[in-house]
Amino acid sequence: MVKLKSMRMSVRRGFPGVDAICKKYDKYDIDKQKDVNVSGEDAFARLYAAIVADIDAAVQKSEAASTEKNRASAVAMNAEIRRTKARLLEELPKLQRLALKKVKGISKEDLEARNDLVYALKERIETIPDGTATAAKQSGGWTASASRTGIKIDSTSDGRFESEYFQPTQESNQFRQEFEMRKMKQASDQGLEVIAEGLDTLKNMAQDMNEEVDRQVPLMDEIDDKVDRATSDLKNTNVRLKDTVNQLRSSRNFCIDIILLCIILGIAAYLYKSMF
Amino acid sequence: MAGSDPEKLMIKADKLTKLSLTRWSADWRSATNLYEQAANGFRLAKNYEKAKVALEKASKGQEMLSSPWDAAKHMESAAALAKELGIWREVSDFYRRASELYTECGRSQPASDALAKGARALEDAAPDEAIQMYTDACGTLEEDGKEQMAFDLYRAATSVYIKLEKYTDAATFLLRWGLAANNCNATNSQCKAYLSAIIVYLYAHDFKQAEKCYNDCSQIDAFLSSDQNRCASKILSAYAEGDVEEIKRLAQSSTISNLDHVIIRLARKLPTGDISALKNEAANDQEEPLDEDDLT
Repeated sequence: MVKLKSMRMSVRRGFPGVDAICKKYDKYDIDKQKDVNVSGEDAFARLYAAIVADIDAAVQKSEAASTEKNRASAVAMNAEIRRTKARLLEELPKLQRLALKKVKGISKEDLEARNDLVYALKERIETIPDGTATAAKQSGGWTASASRTGIKIDSTSDGRFESEYFQPTQESNQFRQEFEMRKMKQASDQGLEVIAEGLDTLKNMAQDMNEEVDRQVPLMDEIDDKVDRATSDLKNTNVRLKDTVNQLRSSRNFCIDIILLCIILGIAAYLYKSMF
Repeated sequence: MAGSDPEKLMIKADKLTKLSLTRWSADWRSATNLYEQAANGFRLAKNYEKAKVALEKASKGQEMLSSPWDAAKHMESAAALAKELGIWREVSDFYRRASELYTECGRSQPASDALAKGARALEDAAPDEAIQMYTDACGTLEEDGKEQMAFDLYRAATSVYIKLEKYTDAATFLLRWGLAANNCNATNSQCKAYLSAIIVYLYAHDFKQAEKCYNDCSQIDAFLSSDQNRCASKILSAYAEGDVEEIKRLAQSSTISNLDHVIIRLARKLPTGDISALKNEAANDQEEPLDEDDLT
């Protein structure tokens, strides 16, 4: 087994693929197993070890992808790496929770150190190249991205989420959806405010109109009375007038008028005749 | 008779009315007729002084003829001429006399109208007299149960008070307006009147009075469940906290913008004076009761 270790040391520099093979046969490396067993009860350490192993595998794959000539397979490998990264990032919160749990046999400093380990791990995962990098990356890519583009509140609305520093996890998608919904509600809130103001004005106007109409009701009643009286007076007068005119127009008066007229004409004719 | 010199008509009419040895009773009918014609003649000649005198006499004649309505009408015309001439004392006298005559007829609306016209004429020249006339006019209508028609008068009187900067009087009058509105179940006007009163008190920087007024008004159910009540309580609490921005924001709100424009102008000028002083006062007031509790 010692030989295996030394072989690994010597070979590692030259053949990257060998590391993978060594890892495969690690389970036969008793020394290593002893280490692993010590941390057997410690869930944190177990998970940690698992994640570290995964990270190493991903790094190797990415190195292979960068040297790959065939574009299609390079793309496929990058996709695979990205998937791994996402999975690892999901595991991280679990690890963090475990880190905070107190375990017997571990000293206090170790406990605090675990938190730092978790953060370091996170950074390591994110620095795994997955083929979308074009320039040199710094550690802590998240913060670098923010400082590069400046602080924009609503810049996420154009949907450009495929920058190299951002890995869409389910949580971040949920957050994004919530944000969009809240923004829409805000716009409709403003519309509702405008409507509320208009309604207020309408209500006030309607109340004033109500009072005005109430005020005018007794006036209308008075007018009604007065007009009724005037109509009846008028009707009376009309009837009397009709009677008077009828009286004037009765046939007896007409006959007398015609007879008198004839007599006058006769007298006039007689005088006229007697003149000439 | 038409076209002859109004002076001559006047002299003739005077002769008819003057009692002497040959005349035992004045002939008011023809005299009144002559007086009216003379007045018309003078008005055409733009001789307002003489026309006014002629109308006075004509009115007297109508009174004698027991027709107060015509008498009142003549009096009003005389008063209008007096207004043209700027003889304010006569204006008020004539309008009051006309109003009395209308009341004799049993018609309260024209009576208060006459007083209101007089008050409007006197607003600039003799505002105190104007206010008195407005108050009387409101009283006339209220006696006859026609409070609804009095709202315009209340509004005019309030604006005169505010012009004179007599804010406590204005607020009192507004409360009276509220009472009138209550009598005729005009809840909206009532609540607006109360809110206006509170604003006037605040404008006069009399926070205690405003609070007292608010407490009094809260006793009334109609006010308690109204928009104006909410607005008033918001303003008072903003004052108590000394929040100037809040007060300005409330002054722009629709509830206040629906009040009379004179009141709106006052509200937009709030807060007057120093609010923090009010805040300290309020704090001191609250501390004292605590001390009393400690002692007991």
